[in-house]
Amino acid sequence: MSAAAPGTSKAAHSDVAPKRKKGPGALATAYLVIYNVVMTAGWLVIAVGLVRAYLARGSYHGLYYSIEKPLKFFQTGAILEVMSRVFLTWAVTHSVREVQSEDSVLLFVTAWTVTEIIRYSFYTFSLLNHLPFLIKWARYTFFFVLYPMGVTGELLTIYAALPYVQKTGLYSVTLPNKYNFSFDYYTFLILIMISYIPLFPQLYFHMIRQRKKVLGHVEDYSKVE
Amino acid sequence: PTATVLDIKALFHKSCEDEEVLQTLPVGTTASFYFSDLGPQLTWGTVFLSECVGPLIIYLMFYFRLPFIYSPKYDFTTSKHWIVHLACMCHSFHYIKRILETMFVHRISHGTMPLRNIFKNCGYYWCTAAWMAYYINHPLYTPPYYGQQQVNTGLYIFLFCQVGNFSIHVALRNLKLPGSKAKKIPYPTKNPFTWIFWLVSCPNYTYEVGSWIGFTVMTQCVPVAFFTLVAFIQMTVWAKGKHRGYLKEFRDYPTLRSSILPFIL
Repeated sequence: MSAAAPGTSKAAHSDVAPKRKKGPGALATAYLVIYNVVMTAGWLVIAVGLVRAYLARGSYHGLYYSIEKPLKFFQTGAILEVMSRVFLTWAVTHSVREVQSEDSVLLFVTAWTVTEIIRYSFYTFSLLNHLPFLIKWARYTFFFVLYPMGVTGELLTIYAALPYVQKTGLYSVTLPNKYNFSFDYYTFLILIMISYIPLFPQLYFHMIRQRKKVLGHVEDYSKVE
Repeated sequence: PTATVLDIKALFHKSCEDEEVLQTLPVGTTASFYFSDLGPQLTWGTVFLSECVGPLIIYLMFYFRLPFIYSPKYDFTTSKHWIVHLACMCHSFHYIKRILETMFVHRISHGTMPLRNIFKNCGYYWCTAAWMAYYINHPLYTPPYYGQQQVNTGLYIFLFCQVGNFSIHVALRNLKLPGSKAKKIPYPTKNPFTWIFWLVSCPNYTYEVGSWIGFTVMTQCVPVAFFTLVAFIQMTVWAKGKHRGYLKEFRDYPTLRSSILPFIL
């Protein structure tokens, strides 16, 4: 049931992804198609899994308790990722047309897609209690490359969007106005880029620690057998 | 064994009843105390003061348009709008009142709070004060749409709620006799501002939200509205907690009362 939170939040993504097909070429489109198929299937499986678990237990109370910890964990960890992805998709790539043909977009799309395919297979198999070690291993190993790859792509894309945003004043509000409020999207984007500096290492090292915990246990287990 | 809890407490940060002598505690001849060191602590009084002094000073810095905030040609100038001066007076009054209350009115029951909280809380209060002050005192500030009428309405609401808030604080203080730790249900007194106790458990929060709504109407400023909303949410959480505490503590707690908004919340 740990998939519940990412499942619901990622559902939004499957709606969002097709709209971005204005710029990227055939390769990215293929990835996006696979991406969507996997997402839809994964979400359905999660929903089915929840119902099955409820029927097996017979009540709501135990259900929440059993998913509470993983739910909180994935919710908190996932929320950052989800927010950053939705932001990248809509507020940067979609909004700033000039950016859509940049290579950096392909970079983070690839990283996200591979990550998600692995992650959703991981959740699916976990729910069915048949988690192949390969998937688990892949999930906790591929990130070594995929995280930096995704982050680089995201940062480059935002950076590419900056001059356009400054020139057109996109999403910005200036004084004077009757609400006495202002917002400078250009500065906001720069602050976002800066926020990657503390955030990314935290997430990265958290995954490394998780890896030790998860893969470490399995190694002990196989030794016992 | 004949040491009191207070003696041990002097060595650690744990909270327990100070007056109990170890020997009389129902724990047998050997008791193990488990302590969790919560880290360096500060008294609530200290925290409240720093939370209030910050916004007071910061707002004034923007009001007097100190250098490096706005464009240099506006340094040390004053606004031509009467509302800006009024807003400064209200904001400053609010925080001075709070500081005085913390020093002379409040009786704080919890001893301390962790050091980390002060950074978190102060950071929030100071930053939002700066954010609000920036726009209200900005050279390009736009006075409220409905003019003097709107300003007056906002002002009356603000003042009414400030007096109300103060009345509640005094009433709550009078509930607790110095030295006694007995808890009592607050009831309306002769002061009309306390009559809201018929309907609400935590009218101090109700009046506080009211003050900020008044200030928002008065200044017509989105950051102020945002701050008011966040404050409302936070205070509702606190009020609900307090309300639940009352219900648990007192069997005969008045059933008409809600936590913060009469009949609603």
